[in-house]
Amino acid sequence: MKWFPSFGFQRRKRELQEEIDAHLHMAIADLVARGETPERARQAAAREFGNVPLVQDVTSDMWGQNSLEQFGRDIRYALRQLRKSPGFTITATTMLAVAICANSTVFSWIDGTMLRPIPGARETGDLVSLQRGERNFSPVPPFSYLDYRDLREQNHTFAGMLAYHHDWITLTGGAQPERVFIANVTANYFDVLGIKPVLGRFFLAEEETRPDAVPNVILSYSLWKTRYAADPAIVGKSIEIARHPVTIIGVAPEGFVGAMPGLRDDLWVTLDPLGTDAWRMTHRSGGAVWLNVIGRLRPGVSHGQAAQDLDTLMHHIVTAYPDDHLGDNRITLDPMWRSPFGANGFMAATLPVLLAFAGVVLLLTCANVATLTLVRFVSRRRELAIRQSLGANQIQLIRQMVLEGVVLSVASGALALALTTWTSKTFAWFFRAGSNPTTLNGSMDHNVVIGIAVFSLLAGILCGALPAWRSSHAPAVEVLKAESASISGGSRNRKLLSGLVVAQIALSLPLLLCSGLFLRTLRNLANANPGFDQDHILTATVGLNIAGYSHDEVQVIRRKILDRLSALPGVKVVSFTDWVPMTLTHKGEDAYPEGYVPHPHESLQVYHAEVSAQYFESLHIPILEGREFTPDDDERAPRVLIVDKTAAKRYWPGQDPLGKKLRIWGRFFTVVGVAKNSTHMLMNESPEPMVYMSFFQEGYETIVQVKTEGNPADFAPAVENAIHEIDARLPVFDVRPMRESTQLASSFAVIQSTLAGMFAAVGLVLAVTGIYGVVAYRTQMRTHEIGVRMALGASRVDVLRLVLLQGLWITGVGLALGLAFAMGLTRLIARLLYGIGANDPVTVSSVVMLLATMSLLACYFPAHRAMRRNPVTAIREL
Amino acid sequence: MAEREQYKNRVELLQGTLDMLILQTLQWGPQHGYGIVQALRLRSGDVLQVETGSLYPALHRLERQGWVQSDWKQTESKQRARYYRITPRGKKQLASDLGRWERIVEAIGSVMYVKPEESES
Repeated sequence: MKWFPSFGFQRRKRELQEEIDAHLHMAIADLVARGETPERARQAAAREFGNVPLVQDVTSDMWGQNSLEQFGRDIRYALRQLRKSPGFTITATTMLAVAICANSTVFSWIDGTMLRPIPGARETGDLVSLQRGERNFSPVPPFSYLDYRDLREQNHTFAGMLAYHHDWITLTGGAQPERVFIANVTANYFDVLGIKPVLGRFFLAEEETRPDAVPNVILSYSLWKTRYAADPAIVGKSIEIARHPVTIIGVAPEGFVGAMPGLRDDLWVTLDPLGTDAWRMTHRSGGAVWLNVIGRLRPGVSHGQAAQDLDTLMHHIVTAYPDDHLGDNRITLDPMWRSPFGANGFMAATLPVLLAFAGVVLLLTCANVATLTLVRFVSRRRELAIRQSLGANQIQLIRQMVLEGVVLSVASGALALALTTWTSKTFAWFFRAGSNPTTLNGSMDHNVVIGIAVFSLLAGILCGALPAWRSSHAPAVEVLKAESASISGGSRNRKLLSGLVVAQIALSLPLLLCSGLFLRTLRNLANANPGFDQDHILTATVGLNIAGYSHDEVQVIRRKILDRLSALPGVKVVSFTDWVPMTLTHKGEDAYPEGYVPHPHESLQVYHAEVSAQYFESLHIPILEGREFTPDDDERAPRVLIVDKTAAKRYWPGQDPLGKKLRIWGRFFTVVGVAKNSTHMLMNESPEPMVYMSFFQEGYETIVQVKTEGNPADFAPAVENAIHEIDARLPVFDVRPMRESTQLASSFAVIQSTLAGMFAAVGLVLAVTGIYGVVAYRTQMRTHEIGVRMALGASRVDVLRLVLLQGLWITGVGLALGLAFAMGLTRLIARLLYGIGANDPVTVSSVVMLLATMSLLACYFPAHRAMRRNPVTAIREL
Repeated sequence: MAEREQYKNRVELLQGTLDMLILQTLQWGPQHGYGIVQALRLRSGDVLQVETGSLYPALHRLERQGWVQSDWKQTESKQRARYYRITPRGKKQLASDLGRWERIVEAIGSVMYVKPEESES
């Protein structure tokens, strides 16, 4: 009968009513049976029973303390108290809502990226990404199919291991080709991830390497929805990819977009659907190293055990095929939330730091609201004392005060929740359209709601419980008796108030410092010289090979593009490349320099790009030795190579690199030139060896690079038209000025400085209003004392000094603590800075000056007001 | 303060007695509130008149303490009523109440009857 002790209250009330009714009915029936008239019987029974509501009331008391009703009363009281001071309520709620929203927004971004690395996949905590060789930022696919097969079949620690490779391709067959992202996957891909099809089926084990006359394809949910209008009978239908007919066998569930965090696959096919990649499937090095691998750990297996297991296997593979495995072959495993493949490597470096900042903002806000609350409780001492002497015990009083804090934080939490539904989606703004199908955004799910609840709870406790606990300690009798003597609430409260202000200054200093450092980093990045001149450059991607053109067709079309674009008015230089620097992508390959003996475990991977004649000229990258590529460096000519300074120094120190040979993809390339170093990925990268190959020998993707007179964006339509004049069905993408593309490299710096800047602004406002509020309040409380001092001969300057000193003392302590705190926090962000040290003296001193000046101003106004008071009125005032 | 304590004792005593009477009534079989009032009145020869304002709080308290249990049932005259039934724990409580009651009666009796000549009246 006691399942729902409080919620069953209404039901119990109803039952009691019925019980009493039954009692009366039986009494009346008895009386009637004894010969009374019904009317008189009713009256007699009622008389005998007594006061029905009273009986109900005392009986319901027996049900135990009705906590729900009690709680309701307390809530109503708290609301009434908050309504009495709307200024406080609105200010505190708004401040807390902003602070909670700052936290929940960053958290929603973490939730949408790091915590949900593969949306739709089962238990992503058991998934690890495999990396071979050096751990590095944004690695290239590390495994060949044969190595992967060995690892998959011989390991003892994985429940499953999948591999994939993805790239652009075009959907042909429609009026206009549509560029989509396609992944070649192993047959167990969906199974290991734990994904079930919404329509049809996924791949079978025997289909993994089997070429088919008409290959099978699986559609993503969004492609099925948008391009095929969610056709329920799509399975079995034929479509055309890169001018090849394929059969749709299944549709992936909504939300699932592939195994690489942050990137969106539209289609999935098997590893070698057309049988054209037989070489790739049967070799272990060079171009056959093309797969990303993700494994699902067996239950109870640790990362260490799994890494050990794979390392042993890899060692056997290296021993068996030493020529295919020069360089570093150690295996590292990463959980998906910080997997270097995809976006999470970047996220893991940025977002937790921002969450830490947001946490500081929340603490700061709590300190501010706690100050306001404390001042409020001090001014309500009389009310609290009266309630205490009327019988309320200390616990009840504290509960009442804490409840006011809880009501505030719940209201703020609700407000923050509403705000976050919008702000969580702003993450995508930071990522401009690039050459990758990026799908990064925050997510607003139950994790975030729980997060907001936790943040609100924390806020409620910090800014409700602390002042409540302090205020409730004042003995009632003392308070009622000594109304005026200790008007500022006694020295204990004064200390707490000062402590809270010190905390606010100490917390806002690191925020300001970090945002200063980030802003200067951003400026340094914008002004930095990447080693190439990107102004007046327009790039456009022509999807030749992904649209299914044959090799010969591609060569012809490329020559035509060169001729047509060069003829356009205003175009100075036209060149080809298959890679654009600073777009968060790079191509990597193992290169074996002739005569070079690598150190044990030395990575032989180099960055590479295939560029045509005049590439270096149009980007103003100086050729230090040798020559640039010429149009004659084509497929009939011997393979040639231009290396950058880093590569030349590493492989041929003290020698002339010209004429040296490098083996890549099993073929020898002769070095014909040395180019100056330029930035590949990020401004603050450590230089990696770079080799340039001739576009007309090895170029795969076709990116046209046009140097223009004037604004390159103006040339976009003309360039696109000129290409379409060659063949109207040529897919042309990503037509944009190079400067726009390379901004991708500073996306994270922009995120960091934007958020840190906003947080710092909030911090500054809070700290300054906090110190102003407390100094003003305390000065007002000391009006009487100041009046007496002035009457006894203190000058106005003395009064000014008195008040200012008190504020400056607090400021000084706050700044000192804040500096110590900041030194710790800036160490966290040192990796994210560019061109500036984490303890940059100029930034530190200007931030300290800023805070000190603002605090001084905040103290000056109350001091000035106190100074100008008439001592006589001041003394009279209490 | 002293007055309040005395008052509390008195309440407790009465409560204890009422509890005992209710539990004893239920020993004879499950009964509803009205039935308990009638039974007590009959058995005591119309002397004990239980106030409903005491009876129902007592019944609900006894139920919370686990000494009685209640079920909704039909009376013979087809009236739906809440029947209370004594539990094993209630029976134990009744035995202990009864023991205490007997001791009190004995003690009061020994005060009232053994030395009647010493009283003022």
